[in-house]
Amino acid sequence: MSSRELATTGGGGPAQLADVLERVLDKGIVIAGDIQINLLDIELLTVKLRLLVASADKAREMGIDWWEGDPFLSRGAKNDGIEGRLRKLEEAAGLPTSKGDEE
Amino acid sequence: MSASATQTALYVYGVVALRDVPSLEQDPAVEIVQEDALAAITRVVSLDEYGEDTLRENLNDREWLEENARAHEDVLLAVAAVADVVPFRFGTICRTADDVRALLAEQRDALTAGLERIRGCVELGVKLWADRDRVEAALAPQEPAAESGRAYLEARRNEQRRAADIQAMCNEVARGAYDRLLRLAVAGVVNRPQPRELTGRTEDMLLNAAFLVTAGDRSIAEEVERLDRELRDLGFSVEVTGPWPAHNFVAAEGEAE
Repeated sequence: MSSRELATTGGGGPAQLADVLERVLDKGIVIAGDIQINLLDIELLTVKLRLLVASADKAREMGIDWWEGDPFLSRGAKNDGIEGRLRKLEEAAGLPTSKGDEE
Repeated sequence: MSASATQTALYVYGVVALRDVPSLEQDPAVEIVQEDALAAITRVVSLDEYGEDTLRENLNDREWLEENARAHEDVLLAVAAVADVVPFRFGTICRTADDVRALLAEQRDALTAGLERIRGCVELGVKLWADRDRVEAALAPQEPAAESGRAYLEARRNEQRRAADIQAMCNEVARGAYDRLLRLAVAGVVNRPQPRELTGRTEDMLLNAAFLVTAGDRSIAEEVERLDRELRDLGFSVEVTGPWPAHNFVAAEGEAE
């Protein structure tokens, strides 16, 4: 394969840490190696919670929820998976879970 | 605190097709472990750093985490510049090369499917931001200060209506932008907007999307520029990041397609 011409986009500076963490910690293929890193067990939670829980809640607070009612978009956003993971994160962090808290 | 010989393990960054290995740059830190038609991009790490106990501590060390998360991404970026790569999540560690080979054999179908899904593609991130004050100003002029009680109530009602209008407009703009960009992409995904604590910006993130595009394809970047120009006067801005390895498009779990 010859070298790809990668589109040069963005500001050109180093990527934002939030973007890197979002991808590296929350995306990508998950395969259990020999050493178990359980991201849920540790306080890295604070980072994950801020990325996921805080952003989701904040977004809702600000009224940004346009993806939630849309089956196509929420499927794209892997809504169910995220909800499940959020619950686990919240439980692990001793927070009230987000399921059923909307009156 | 033991002084015993340092034990090592293999940290796995991601997987490429074996046929692409010759095109990879020679990185002395990287070791290729192959099994059948797949090859893992790995690095020897010390268990002093990546062992179960120390790793837990290190992950909670903001600086360590940043440094290593970026290093993980840098290795993948270098690979993605010349080959299709299925990125692994941070912290996939095997004890030996044999264990990596076993992992490749075990996960062959999922990894092959992942490689197939992203063949010839990279990921671009697109964010839409709103400067609430400017959006508000663009949508409706500020009401003059109320003088009577009745005028005050009226003004409050108008304010609420305006807030709802602004929200509707933001949602519409975000959805419209996503739809326009999706048409130019192989695939797209909407992620949760990042909170301000993480972005460090005063604007609100309305859209945090990722698109899978053919490597070198500039059409998303150009459309982002167009969107940005169109929306700028309304208080919105649109930005593209990347190209990234296709982190958002390789996981098979929870796939609805």
